[in-house]
Amino acid sequence: MVTLLEPREFRLLEGLRFNPRKSFTGKIRGERLTKKKGISIEFSDYREYSEGDDLRHLDWNVLARLESPIMKTYRDEEDLAVHLLIDASESMSFGEPAKQATADHLATALGYVGLAAGDALYPRRIGVRENPMAALRGRSSIVRLNAYLTSTKGEAKPEFSLSNTLRSFANSSARTGLVILLSDGMDPEIEGAIRAMGGRGHELWFIQILSDIELDPDLEGDLRLLDAEGEGKVEITANSYALRAYLDNLRRHNAMIRDAVLRIGGRYALANSAATVESILRDTLKREGWVQ
Amino acid sequence: MSLQNLGALLWLVPLGGVIIILYLLRMKRRDLRVPATFLWPERTEEIRANSLFQRLRFSWLLVLQLLALTLIVFAIAKPQTKQRGLTGEVTVIVVDASASMGATDVEPTRFDAAKRLAKEAVESAKPGDRIALIEAGPNPRVVFSLSNDPRKQVRSIDTMSRSDAEVDIGEALRLAAALVGTEESARIVLLSDGVFEPVKDFSRGKASLIFQSIGKSDHNLAITALGVADTGQGRQVYVGVRNPSGAQLSGKVNLYADGKLLDSEKVTINTDKSWGKTVAAPAGTSLIEARLDADDFLKSDNYAVALANPGASLRVLLVGKGDFFIERALSLDPRVTLDRASEVPMGERGAGPGGVYDVVVFDGTPAVPVKARGVLSLGSVGALTPVTRVGSTKTPDFVSAENVKLMDGVDFRNVYIETMQKVRPKPEGKVVATSNDGPLLVSSSGDQRQVYLAFEPLQSDFPLSVSFPIFIANVLDFLGGDEGTGDLAIRAGQTFSIPASKPILLTKPDDEVAEIPSNGSTAVVRDVKTVGKYGLRVDGKQRSVYATLRSDRESKIAPEVDVELGGGAIKAVRSPMRFADFWRPLLLLCLLVLAGEWWLFTRKS
Repeated sequence: MVTLLEPREFRLLEGLRFNPRKSFTGKIRGERLTKKKGISIEFSDYREYSEGDDLRHLDWNVLARLESPIMKTYRDEEDLAVHLLIDASESMSFGEPAKQATADHLATALGYVGLAAGDALYPRRIGVRENPMAALRGRSSIVRLNAYLTSTKGEAKPEFSLSNTLRSFANSSARTGLVILLSDGMDPEIEGAIRAMGGRGHELWFIQILSDIELDPDLEGDLRLLDAEGEGKVEITANSYALRAYLDNLRRHNAMIRDAVLRIGGRYALANSAATVESILRDTLKREGWVQ
Repeated sequence: MSLQNLGALLWLVPLGGVIIILYLLRMKRRDLRVPATFLWPERTEEIRANSLFQRLRFSWLLVLQLLALTLIVFAIAKPQTKQRGLTGEVTVIVVDASASMGATDVEPTRFDAAKRLAKEAVESAKPGDRIALIEAGPNPRVVFSLSNDPRKQVRSIDTMSRSDAEVDIGEALRLAAALVGTEESARIVLLSDGVFEPVKDFSRGKASLIFQSIGKSDHNLAITALGVADTGQGRQVYVGVRNPSGAQLSGKVNLYADGKLLDSEKVTINTDKSWGKTVAAPAGTSLIEARLDADDFLKSDNYAVALANPGASLRVLLVGKGDFFIERALSLDPRVTLDRASEVPMGERGAGPGGVYDVVVFDGTPAVPVKARGVLSLGSVGALTPVTRVGSTKTPDFVSAENVKLMDGVDFRNVYIETMQKVRPKPEGKVVATSNDGPLLVSSSGDQRQVYLAFEPLQSDFPLSVSFPIFIANVLDFLGGDEGTGDLAIRAGQTFSIPASKPILLTKPDDEVAEIPSNGSTAVVRDVKTVGKYGLRVDGKQRSVYATLRSDRESKIAPEVDVELGGGAIKAVRSPMRFADFWRPLLLLCLLVLAGEWWLFTRKS
């Protein structure tokens, strides 16, 4: 089995935790504080005693002084649902190194962060026909995550486009939580899908991975461009005018994604497929407080 | 603007159509998979096409290519603009350098005005125009050949000089036609006063002919006759003056005998009339000069010379079928005025004085008795010939020759003779040269001198040898009488030969001295171009040569407006126009358009 992370990267990831802006209700007890009152050691508030309350949380000092039973409440600790969405569409196979490889590598790293923090990790390839995977928990699940990400991916079909898949995910019964999307964002209708994701209550972290082919295309001559994911065909003469127009469109498209993500309270980062996981973690995720 | 090749415009339609069809062809593009196509603009520039077909779309490349094609087709159509100027793209300027061009009715002379026009034409020529210039003197001279170097050409024009000779302008025009007659846009420009005989045998080819007339006035008096004759009243001098102009003119005629004034008379001559006078000259006078002092425009015909010694000038009649070599050899002698005839005129037949001709040459024709002082019989025997014919022989060999003046510089040793008459000399005949089959050359001296050559020159290779013209000159000396001082009176511009073993020195009227090479026996003199007295130093002896004009045609200096050239009348142009080709700027513009098209192409691709 191919190991996506190197020992050096494990050491780098050790001790890191996701730092979502929102709090989410957990499914099982975990290591992450919630707004719910619970049984952690983190004090939350006082309230009147009511029948049936656990006397272990009665504040005896207050009772002795005021002769009034006051209960101490504590914040609850639950697990965080982290949905790791990895774009596996055809467009991710472009670039040197391929965007897919960078996305898988980064997904493994982020998955390890979640597993190490006791979060419930839901890895999922989008853009292909695949059944969702059950939640992974604990460091030991990194092996399963690694196996999943290195396994043969399912069949790509036009109906499993990025925006369609994200809409489906938003409409599904998946636990509300942190959604980390690793994708090139090459879908003209992605803005609607992002909005749907926000409406569902997820916090979306979008790491857009683009290769040099997209960021600085080196095309020449008279070409018929065939869309890797559909039937789209465009005839161009790859001259300076065409390249300039393309770069303008790309800049506008990326800005549209960033604005959509920020509008729903998410985070956005643009990464080059040639960048290392280490540099993405250090320069973007750590510096901008995505992880701590 | 006009087009020389209008038909070339027809190419515009098919070629333009081809270019448009190329733009109708659809491009077969290279397929390339990309992550997404929605970011790429539908932006195509049809700069190549290899598939059928598509709707014609606007393209700057198409516009520029059609523009370039249009410019090329128009350039091929040879557009031209009309401008003032003598010269064209290819021009030969012929400057008349004859005597009449020395007329001063145009300051300083007509010839200088022609040179000035030639200079202006050269200096105003456009880059790329090629100009040649021919000086139409006694011997036409290419001053500079077809070229485009105005500075050098102007310097060459300064070296041109006029002659006081009658000029055959046809020779210069034929030379010009040979230079440019095959070129479409060539022109031959004749700068002349039109004072020349009609030119018959001339074809200008494809070149156009432009005649620019120079001259304003016809005022001229000319000495047209000056002769010396020994009569019963002693030596008489006749002088004649003519007024060929359209106005009455006056002048003073002075006659000099051996440099001393003999007679002087003021004359007034009406238009187209002559005046003449006979004056007795002192006995022993050898040189008679006539000078005309008149307020006219041509000075070179105001001087004439007559030499009194009988051998100084010879009128020669050549009787026969015609032999180019004999004619040429006779013409080279400065004393000779040659006439040709197939038989002797009745007036010249008989015996005794009174004949017009000094010498009669019978070339293959039996000699008949004539009044001339001398007779040369070439391969023919007549009644008075100093030999009697006995038969004929083939390929005789030369044996010996007498050491006489007739044989000076003449060598029969290597002469091949095909057929020769076998003769026996008469008692008065003196055999000068003999062959193994009898006399080759016989002479007799008496009242009439006779020279007999036993073969026709054309029956041998004698005319090809250097001895031939010397032989003819010796014969003329012998027949002419061997008298006199050796002075010569010739027409200005005449080329003549002088027996000379060494180079001779020619002193011109302006005291300039020129050395003329000799081939060991003869020197050919070509530099006697202007009227005046020349000195000749020949083998240590000093001789004088008097050059005069004596040409009725040249003296009639009225500038002509219509001249006969090559069988057609050519009218003098007042303001000559030239057609300037316009195709070069079009091609330059086309190159700029193509450069722009290339820039656009590279920018788009």
